[in-house]
Amino acid sequence: MSSVLLEVDSVDKHFGGLHAVKQVSMQIRRGEIVGILGPNGAGKTTLFNMLTNFIPPDNGRVIFNGQSLQGVKPHKIVTLGIARTFQLCRPFVGLSVLENVLVGSLGPRVRHDGLGDRAMQLLKQVGLEAKAHTPSELLSYGDLRRLEIARALAAEPELLLLDEPFAGLGSSEIEAISSLIRQLHAEKQLTILLIEHKLREFMQLVSRVIALDFGEVIAEGSPAEIVAHPKVIEAYIGKQTEMAVHHAA
Amino acid sequence: MNGFQQIDKLSGVAGAAALVVLAVAPLVFPGNYLIGVLTVAAIYGIWAVSWDFMSGLTGRENFGHSLFIGVGAYVAGVVNVQMELGPWWSLPASMLLAVAFALLLGFPTLRLKGPYFALAMLSAAVIMQRLMLIFWEYTGGEEGIQDIAPLIRNNLHYYWFVLVVLAATTFILSWMARSRWGLILRAIRGDEATCLAAGIPITTYKIVSLVISAAFAGLGGALYAHYQLQVSPQLFAVVTSVTIITMVYVGGMGTIYGPVGGALLLTLLTEGLRNFGEWRLMIYSLLLIFILFFLPNGFIAPLWKRVRSGWGDRA
Amino acid sequence: MEILIYGAVTSAIYAMLAVGFTLIFGVARVLNLAHGSFYALGAYGTYVLTSIVGLPLWLAALLAIAGVSVFGVVVEKALIRPLRYSQLGVLMITLAVSLVVEQALFLIFGSEYRNVPAFIDTKVSIGGVDVAGQRLLTLVVAVVAIGALYLFIQRTRLGSAILAISQDAEAAKYMGIPSDRIFSLVMAISAALAALAGVLAGPFLSVQPSMHLLPIVKAFAIVIVGGLGSIPGSILAALMLGYAETLVAYLISTSWTEIVSVLATLLTLVFRPAGIFGKRAAF
Repeated sequence: MSSVLLEVDSVDKHFGGLHAVKQVSMQIRRGEIVGILGPNGAGKTTLFNMLTNFIPPDNGRVIFNGQSLQGVKPHKIVTLGIARTFQLCRPFVGLSVLENVLVGSLGPRVRHDGLGDRAMQLLKQVGLEAKAHTPSELLSYGDLRRLEIARALAAEPELLLLDEPFAGLGSSEIEAISSLIRQLHAEKQLTILLIEHKLREFMQLVSRVIALDFGEVIAEGSPAEIVAHPKVIEAYIGKQTEMAVHHAA
Repeated sequence: MNGFQQIDKLSGVAGAAALVVLAVAPLVFPGNYLIGVLTVAAIYGIWAVSWDFMSGLTGRENFGHSLFIGVGAYVAGVVNVQMELGPWWSLPASMLLAVAFALLLGFPTLRLKGPYFALAMLSAAVIMQRLMLIFWEYTGGEEGIQDIAPLIRNNLHYYWFVLVVLAATTFILSWMARSRWGLILRAIRGDEATCLAAGIPITTYKIVSLVISAAFAGLGGALYAHYQLQVSPQLFAVVTSVTIITMVYVGGMGTIYGPVGGALLLTLLTEGLRNFGEWRLMIYSLLLIFILFFLPNGFIAPLWKRVRSGWGDRA
Repeated sequence: MEILIYGAVTSAIYAMLAVGFTLIFGVARVLNLAHGSFYALGAYGTYVLTSIVGLPLWLAALLAIAGVSVFGVVVEKALIRPLRYSQLGVLMITLAVSLVVEQALFLIFGSEYRNVPAFIDTKVSIGGVDVAGQRLLTLVVAVVAIGALYLFIQRTRLGSAILAISQDAEAAKYMGIPSDRIFSLVMAISAALAALAGVLAGPFLSVQPSMHLLPIVKAFAIVIVGGLGSIPGSILAALMLGYAETLVAYLISTSWTEIVSVLATLLTLVFRPAGIFGKRAAF
């Protein structure tokens, strides 16, 4: 079993005149938690969309577990072992919290007995056990994030893609979700790839950072290296984001 | 615990009780008139339940349900009158053809977002109606196909037969709606993209539920043909689809059992409105507008839920 | 030659219907199933005002069109707007409206065909073919009307506002464009176009209460092929469909014309769901 779980090879994407992702390459090893950093518009979500074939790349390949994802239909991606969350939490309106997680486990990858028990277990792990029968559209933002994570985990993935898991949360919530992610990573031997632009929490969570700007990789390294990297600083100072705030704090 | 809703005892008892009441009613109030009305109501119930299973659960509203009904009815007519086969052959034949149409129409339209499915079904039903008129040599044109043989000669026994079919349909589809199938359909209604991300082949599920919906609708169509003993292009009319959708709204979308009540209620209402003659359809349409504005969750299902929780408090 | 002219006339009518339908969808994301009713009311309105009330034809036509416009705006404000959160709610309510209108017409006028007088009774000869003047008039008016609409949208400020909203309703609101009022305006235009089609085509197409259904089906087919929300697409598709139907009517038989729209719709949905100029691919 190779140590490289996900290999991204020069993927490229144009949207009309906009060159959203420019020849991005990266290798994600089993068991890592890797962060993708970049200001808004840097192409991060587009990249995620290409990793899950929601949008096929114009050029380049995505190889997961030695298998090319080209031509694989979006709903089959989960079967291969990749699960993702979305930037804007999208619960299944009209379904309870428990039902939401159940749906996540209905793909062919998961054993079919005891689904309900397993779903409750997941809810316990993310701390939503008490709200199992609440209609999911009534959840607070923080709880929705937990639900997203539980739902993604219900498919028992090897690779978990988290799209801005801290967006819209207050600092104590961020702390909680962050430690949740760490805990789940340890318990379930997941490989995690996450997108964020909030630096501080991100830095403590990930072992490696890949920085994007305008669709291309501008730097790669440990969190400490990235923070000091001239190109990264340039990309951020130009846009006045939380980086300055967090460093001051 | 496997996490899915079950049909609980109370609902089961209530359903059985309702069935008994319906079966016994014509004995208490004898006369062919009541039997006729109840038979039609039961058939509408089958149509309404079949519509609810697909559109009520997934939220992809099918505006051309009358197509499957008409196809089922016409197949019954053709099989019985033109092919001169025994009347019982209609039932599987109708279901088969309805399924074929569902596949034909569902494939191109259900993989698309937006209103394409609803409109395509609407157009298809209208066009089928026109086609029945255009190819009048085969279909009998305006007058349709006459002299269809009944399945069971005794009206009362036929009514009971239809009632059994209704009960079976409601039970089967209710059960499916509460199983993981129904969960997936409701998730599709909630958010299709997230379903894909969770590994669900949504188009397949949508098409299959349309096929199931069509099969039961076609069956109802055949039953109707063997009741009326004739079929006409009117069956394909938009009005039929709208009537059924109204019944589902009144009953409670997505509940499966609600539409049965809706069908009963509205059929009885229609009979009561017979005195208004030509105004009937007008009143129906106005009723629909009223319901859309004031009762989007229906009437029957919310009522039942309230009765239930009242019961639960006491228990 | 006959085919050339008749095809053009058919296309013209279809174009008027389709453009209105696609306009209100492109701008307000409303699928107005009552669109056919505007067509019907245009024809019936003219009939009533001229044959019963006795007004001169041109006046009757104008008033009918104006009346239908107002009706359209009323329907939009009172019935459609409250349900805008649900696209299917809009479909249901507009369908219900179309049924109410159909029933009302049936109750008032009965189901026999009515005669809407033509503007031009004489036949005109073009290229050796005798064409009813009314049909030619229809063609000319349609071209003028759609041309005027095009100029309106491209050249006036109001037109730019309409374009802006159709591209991004939220952004347009932030720019201070009064979307709600524009929706009403667009509805009025849409209804007027449909009514105009009814007024012009009434004399040579059937006028009876269920006349609203076929236009909707045709309009739907056209906007699918042309692309939902695209006016040039609708015009092009209207031409294609109009000529295809005319050809089929001449070469095979009039009964088969329905199949054309069915086939066109099915083929488009299977191979190119966005239509010719569709900017929003359906998936």
